[in-house]
Amino acid sequence: MSAPAAARFVGTSVRRVEDDRILSGRGRYIDDIRLPRMLHGVFLRSSIPHGRLTGVDLDAARGLDGVVAIITAAELEGVAHPLSTRPDVPDVARPVFTVLASDRVRHVGDPIALILAETRHQAEDARDAIVVDYEPLETVASIEQAEDPARPSLFDDTDSNLLYTEATDYGDPDGAFAGARVVRASFAPARVAHVPMECRGGVADHHPGTGELVYYATTQSPHALKLGLSGVLSQPAEKLRVITPDVGGAFGQKAMLNREDIVVCAASKLAGRPVKWVEDRIENMTAATHARSETVEIAAAIDDDGAILALDVNLKIDVGAYPALPFPPSFLGPIVRTMVTGPYRIEHLRWANTVFQTNKASYGTYRGPWAIESLVREVLIDRIAYELGLDPVEVRRRNLVRMDEQPRKMATGPTLEGVMALETLERASELIDQDSFRREQADARAQGKLLGLGFATYIEPAPGPPDFMSSVGMQLPDERAVARLEIDGHLTVITAQAPHGQSHETTLAQVAASEFGVPLEHVRVVHGDTQQTPFSIIGTGGSRAATMASGAALHATRAVKDKVLEMAGNMLEISPGDLEIVDAVVMPKGDAERGIPLAQIAMAAYFMGVEGEDDGLRSTAIYHQPPGGWSGGTHACIVEVDPQTGVVEIKRYVVVEDCGELIHPAIVEGQIRGGIAQGIGIALLENALYDEEANFLAGTFMDYLVPTSMEIPTIEIEHLHSEPLAEVNYRGVGEGGTIAAPPVIVNAVADALGGASIGVVPMTPEYVLALVDEAGI
Amino acid sequence: MSVQVSLTVNGVERSAAVEERRTLADFLREELGLTGTHLGCEHGICGSCTVIVDGVSARSCLMLAVQADGAEVTTIEGLLEGGELGVLQQACRDSHAFQCGYCTPGFLMTATELLSENPNPTESEVREAISGNLCRCTGYESIVQAILLAAERGA
Repeated sequence: MSAPAAARFVGTSVRRVEDDRILSGRGRYIDDIRLPRMLHGVFLRSSIPHGRLTGVDLDAARGLDGVVAIITAAELEGVAHPLSTRPDVPDVARPVFTVLASDRVRHVGDPIALILAETRHQAEDARDAIVVDYEPLETVASIEQAEDPARPSLFDDTDSNLLYTEATDYGDPDGAFAGARVVRASFAPARVAHVPMECRGGVADHHPGTGELVYYATTQSPHALKLGLSGVLSQPAEKLRVITPDVGGAFGQKAMLNREDIVVCAASKLAGRPVKWVEDRIENMTAATHARSETVEIAAAIDDDGAILALDVNLKIDVGAYPALPFPPSFLGPIVRTMVTGPYRIEHLRWANTVFQTNKASYGTYRGPWAIESLVREVLIDRIAYELGLDPVEVRRRNLVRMDEQPRKMATGPTLEGVMALETLERASELIDQDSFRREQADARAQGKLLGLGFATYIEPAPGPPDFMSSVGMQLPDERAVARLEIDGHLTVITAQAPHGQSHETTLAQVAASEFGVPLEHVRVVHGDTQQTPFSIIGTGGSRAATMASGAALHATRAVKDKVLEMAGNMLEISPGDLEIVDAVVMPKGDAERGIPLAQIAMAAYFMGVEGEDDGLRSTAIYHQPPGGWSGGTHACIVEVDPQTGVVEIKRYVVVEDCGELIHPAIVEGQIRGGIAQGIGIALLENALYDEEANFLAGTFMDYLVPTSMEIPTIEIEHLHSEPLAEVNYRGVGEGGTIAAPPVIVNAVADALGGASIGVVPMTPEYVLALVDEAGI
Repeated sequence: MSVQVSLTVNGVERSAAVEERRTLADFLREELGLTGTHLGCEHGICGSCTVIVDGVSARSCLMLAVQADGAEVTTIEGLLEGGELGVLQQACRDSHAFQCGYCTPGFLMTATELLSENPNPTESEVREAISGNLCRCTGYESIVQAILLAAERGA
């Protein structure tokens, strides 16, 4: 018996639909859009971290060639409403701020004005001719300074720089800690930047005649952006359309309602002409979002066998000067809280979280936003192993929830089901061959070489089980997709995703073509246009697409297929259940002779109409989150630490993971490798550094080190597959690499240094040399 | 101040009056409409804007259009062979080399230079050759494999 038609494309690394245009230089990114009458906008930004704006002298700039208008906070009054965190978010301080800085600047890069000119050069010349007078204010440059009541509050309407406090117990942490052995760790990762290779930008086209506003935007969340713009600009939703062209990476940074987006749209309204804004790299590094700006203290109550009885976690987050709307400052902590016990049998948790504002760029969700939980937990587990003289693998083995214990509720609420954490640990340990490594390590040590081995085990909600978001305290809608039979029998699938490198034009076509029984080239995936795509408040984010968008595309396609089979059944006088579609021909099963081409059925449907339908053959599906929903695995890596230079070299990197069935193996592995590359950057290189007075020191790629092909090793990947819990058995893998790489490298470096206590990333050569000294090597 | 420049771009002679301060990248993208060349940092590190000038790779964000007067310039659009993807481009497609596509033109031009100088590079030679190009999506392995595949196919 031949394989069912449905298996034809799924599971195969077919050619990516995106590649023909991308590889030939015919992608269309934001800066490639050029509209008639278009103006160029350039932002004037604060050069100081904190101060009163006492004067902005625009006279010289206004007189320069090509300058059409300069938009400041005054011009936006009545056009763009002031901003704040949504009123329905509980327990959070919500200072109100203007879209452009009006009387006060709060971080280097705070936008003050938008200069509109006929060319970008002219706009930049004018920006440089503006004279700004500031009266500097005392700065808040760190969490410690934000906690200091002597420092000024950033806003007149907040009493202090503390925005949010939460303390929650799960189980009985007091009981568990009473009399137990306690192991502690603390961590202060550096701020990092997302660094999509394409910076942010937008082209706003407000039509003075119709009142319609079209905004072409580098966004991963077009509907959320539309919703935000509509509210802030009082722009009726039916006259507002957000379109995403090709987007050159985002990693969470392009999920925001940027203040710049609002200004650019308002400027188009005010000027009556299209306005383009494309930020440069220094702006992106300085004024777009940063992440991982956190400190955490963690303690584990353990027994003498290394069983982890309870965790005590205190997380402090520095969200910068302004909330990265639409996300409230309280967004991140509850996800970290929910995830921190991970795939382990930890029954009690004491949780505390505080969130502070500082004179820095906004904190934005970044690939695996909650990753600090895996970092501190996995580093702590190695600390427990050293403390007890146990193998770190053995400590994990004793604490991981086994398959035969699942389904099982995490202490924090979500259900663990189908989680192969232990199996991935065993397999990674096998692949890395720990026994041989330990011999090699000892031999190397005898020659003065420092080798180290680390492990990290994690899970990611991708998209998580149905009880995940309620445990976090949020609600997420189901995912929608539309499938439409075209007049030639081809299929259009309209997704709510807004891909920017994830290859959904390929993967969703694979799912739909396999289901429908047509060649891959007969399916086109449409995305990123709020006038066509179904609503989603997320778009692409949270590793949801593999399950949710695939599920929605599958069901929408299936519904269209059912209608097609019904029509064909009538034409052939045969039960639809006895029909199949093979290579775009509807036929009685196995009887190609009697087949009718899909095109013929589609043509009939369009011309004759379909009973009960008003619009040819189309269907909208709403896909609900299935059980399971976890991806995860174990990473293992071997490093060599050079005791003379402090440089860490990754010698071997192994991933064993389970993300369900692979739609497209090469795309899955590209997500894993790309995520790990960002994690390696966090572990060893990247630091969005501010000085003690909140001056930003990492505005260029000479200051901010993005990993190159020389730092990222070959990454070995093996996939395990748990038993499917639902028909749609594809799960996301976007975030795991970035989550697991920092702890696995920290653990490997610590191992190379005989169990060094590491509490900082990036582990720069300077920092590593200090560790080498400390270890007495 | 404008200066008249004449150069050959992807085999076609072009001439235009350009502002002295106009970069080659802006000239290619805005005057010639060759938007395949991308700007990722405009300070010479990320390599997205790499083009070939007289056989040698150059950062078109750090080069003025007037400096290219009389030169032969190749951009990503010039890698097509008879309107189809060239050997290197096909190898990138077959190796699933890229994701978002933004850094892609720079890598393709850097690899074109590498393969013209060293038709059979080792993996470490490929890694070194592309170490001046940043990609934030892939972790580079797929790009390295694609260039090795292109070499195998005689790009």
